[in-house]
Amino acid sequence: MKELNRREFIKNTTVATASVATVASGISLTTFAADPKESDPVTNEKRWGMLIDANKLSEVDIDDMVNACQEEQGWGGEVHSTGDQKSGWIKKVKVRDTATQRVSNLALMCQHCEEPPCVDVCPTNASMKREDGIVLVDKHRCIGCRYCMMACPYDARSFVHEDLTDQKEHMPRGKGTVESCTMCVHKVDKGEQPACAQAVSSDAVIFGDLLDPTSNIHQTLKNVQSTQIRADLNLNTGVRYSGI
Amino acid sequence: MSRLLIVLLSAMLSITAAHADHHIPNLGEKANEFKDDGKKAHKREGMSHAASLIMQRKMHPELLSHKRDKTLRQGVRGGYTQLQKCVDCHTSVDKNGEHIPVNAPDQFCSTCHEKVGVSLDCFSCHRTTPAEDM
Repeated sequence: MKELNRREFIKNTTVATASVATVASGISLTTFAADPKESDPVTNEKRWGMLIDANKLSEVDIDDMVNACQEEQGWGGEVHSTGDQKSGWIKKVKVRDTATQRVSNLALMCQHCEEPPCVDVCPTNASMKREDGIVLVDKHRCIGCRYCMMACPYDARSFVHEDLTDQKEHMPRGKGTVESCTMCVHKVDKGEQPACAQAVSSDAVIFGDLLDPTSNIHQTLKNVQSTQIRADLNLNTGVRYSGI
Repeated sequence: MSRLLIVLLSAMLSITAAHADHHIPNLGEKANEFKDDGKKAHKREGMSHAASLIMQRKMHPELLSHKRDKTLRQGVRGGYTQLQKCVDCHTSVDKNGEHIPVNAPDQFCSTCHEKVGVSLDCFSCHRTTPAEDM
């Protein structure tokens, strides 16, 4: 048997130790990176957001987004509601610059704020923000007081004024409760995109995880100048706009 | 005096017994098929089938409201307890092949709820028939 001298002994042990460390770190890495199961609660490791590019988004695109939202969530078919009573989860908003007369079209919906005023004012805790940043109405608790509609700076919420039937299976809606964009939470939980983002074929609407450095939305927000509507309110919205 | 009391009590008891007839709810189309196939619905681990059914009957509001909070507020999806699964199995079909709302009179939910006088609020928001594509 060959005698090991001191130098060779150290070299061999270092290689052995290094390989063990690699294996160990590999194991721990796979444990952390395991895909979250359906049965796991959502965490704040993700924050869902959307980037809407007003320059790329045509009026037709916005109509498509509104239609896709109605189709997916089943709103807009209310027969007894008139004018402002009608639901509007996503709206087409025209903004005109008074100096240049430049008109931009915006798709405006719940901005899924990090500090949502609707959640602050809700007396029953029905208005809520999920850990992953999606703002929802828990209709089991909603008493229809509409404080949240008053508090929302984006006029993003609607109140159901009439009895409804044939709701979508994934989207219960009923008289006397407030509703708004859910960022298609039922699809997002399945790993899909919201209906409005899917309805636009160009990359005018990007949906993704704002916190994930590899996601398209994170990368784009890093490189492109974007803004939050009413950024002065410091709500840190999840929906961002560029080109306005 | 005590004899009179016993007679009175037994008369009252017999009235109650006469009213406590076995009211079997309309199980619904799929649930009936399931039962006819001899399969055991709502069977829980470590419980007999009869005990599981009693548990299901007694505890369904608690089971549902526990799950609804987890689903809506924490995003925990899937699993056994889902209102839409109840609706899928326990709705009936009329002569024209159309689904009857599960909360309509004499349907699965309303049979018991009307009997015990407990209001049923689920379906002011939730869909009462299985989804179109089912």
